[in-house]
Amino acid sequence: MATSTPDISVVPQAAPEQAAPAKREFPGALVVVEGIDGSGKSTQLYLLKRWLEIGGYRIHFTEWNSSPLVKSATRRGKQRRLLTPTTFSLLHAADFADRCERQILPLLHGGYLVLADRYVYTAFARDAARGCSPHWLRNLYSFAPVPDITFYFRAPLDVAVNRITAGRPKLKYYEAGMDLGLSLDRAESFRIFQDRILNNYDQMVETDNFVLMDGTMRVNRLQKVMRTLLADRVELNRFAPKKKK
Amino acid sequence: MTPAKNPLTTATAGSAARRRKSAPEANNGKDGSVMTRFYGTPLPGVKPEELSGNLIVVEGTDGSGRSTQISLLTEWLESEGFAVETMGLRRSFLVGEDIDALLAENAVTRLTLALMYSTDFYDQLERRILPALRSGLIVLADRYIFTLIARAAVRGIGRDYLHGIYEIALRPDLTFWLDVRPEVAFDREFKKSQTISYWESGRDMSLSNDLFQSFIRYQSMIKREFEYLSKRHGFLEIDGEASVPEVNRQLRKRIASHLGIRGTHYRPSHALAHLWR
Repeated sequence: MATSTPDISVVPQAAPEQAAPAKREFPGALVVVEGIDGSGKSTQLYLLKRWLEIGGYRIHFTEWNSSPLVKSATRRGKQRRLLTPTTFSLLHAADFADRCERQILPLLHGGYLVLADRYVYTAFARDAARGCSPHWLRNLYSFAPVPDITFYFRAPLDVAVNRITAGRPKLKYYEAGMDLGLSLDRAESFRIFQDRILNNYDQMVETDNFVLMDGTMRVNRLQKVMRTLLADRVELNRFAPKKKK
Repeated sequence: MTPAKNPLTTATAGSAARRRKSAPEANNGKDGSVMTRFYGTPLPGVKPEELSGNLIVVEGTDGSGRSTQISLLTEWLESEGFAVETMGLRRSFLVGEDIDALLAENAVTRLTLALMYSTDFYDQLERRILPALRSGLIVLADRYIFTLIARAAVRGIGRDYLHGIYEIALRPDLTFWLDVRPEVAFDREFKKSQTISYWESGRDMSLSNDLFQSFIRYQSMIKREFEYLSKRHGFLEIDGEASVPEVNRQLRKRIASHLGIRGTHYRPSHALAHLWR
């Protein structure tokens, strides 16, 4: 029911019958947001999550790199700067595998709408920017289920970089891509690194069916667009609270 | 084994994997050929032509005598004037202890564990082994990617997926497989620690409530994977049930010819004499 100007305070009553959805492996659905740091993706996913939560929908929110499993290793590696592009990538893959096998897949099989702040495309874009082979990365993550919809938040490099550097006292070593030796200046290194990641993301728009989102739009207007697109693509009433009879 | 459904499921091991004594792939890299030093694209930032050392792998299941042979080979090579570096499972600074903790908890899923082992492997390879090889050392590996592939494959993770993860790894100059029957491995392992460990008997796979049966079935599955890997990667197979001196003699003979060492005479020092039986 993608009306042209939906009232964002109201959870839409599921999209009407559309083209029959592709044959599914599980009753759940997976919604992903991607984009470089400062593109606005996390804010938008948070608002989407609040909207669905308030409406009582069966959802679960999951974040990249959030499990306690590899925390000690990641901390050790980062503090002492021991991580290579390969071990950096593998640690994140191990972490993601844990989340995938213990959260995402069971929830998808159990009929949840799973919202993911970053997904495998983060690894494809970032780890390739570090020098890992794209072919190797695609294989590494081939166990991950393909999302029902991937919102790609795109903001010009300057806008995104300014949002990050303005809000943060100091960029971290790996975050700034200092391990790549791009520049001795952290801010400059971050900029070059993010530019590479942005280019890698752009290349996936077609190959991975990204839905392009303009990260420079006003927050509430962009959220309106996001909700409409979601309702178009995912049959939301599958996740709606059951009505009492 | 489950039928192939996704990249993580695997077909059963090539049951007809016939063992061969000769090793067509094992000599790759001997001629210094750059293309053959890695299985696929090399690790990021590595120049294969800089690696002047030698990588010698000893593979085999629990109780096959690997560690004993590596101790003896290290002493022999050092006495011949070669500097030796070793690697093995869970020995990385980065995640070695984390894996120990995961194994103790046994709440970890098979895929996560496989990827933690690969992190452990590459941390050792990139930060310890490649520098050693650049300096011309002999690296003795107490297990290599093959054990990691076999263990994950018997747990249903696809072989192509696993080979993909390790395609950026260095191809060994020589890979020995100390082959023993599971029953013999059981006797040796039990003698060593008076019990059989959770993971060695594959208890996470619910094969049998009887520990002996579980151990035998699990180790037999691993052995079948090794037969397949041996065919694919050209292992040098050695009868691991022979005496320690005999196995050691065969290893020395093959390594000596690879490294151009003339005499292969060796008697262990007093410190290692207890292993020589």
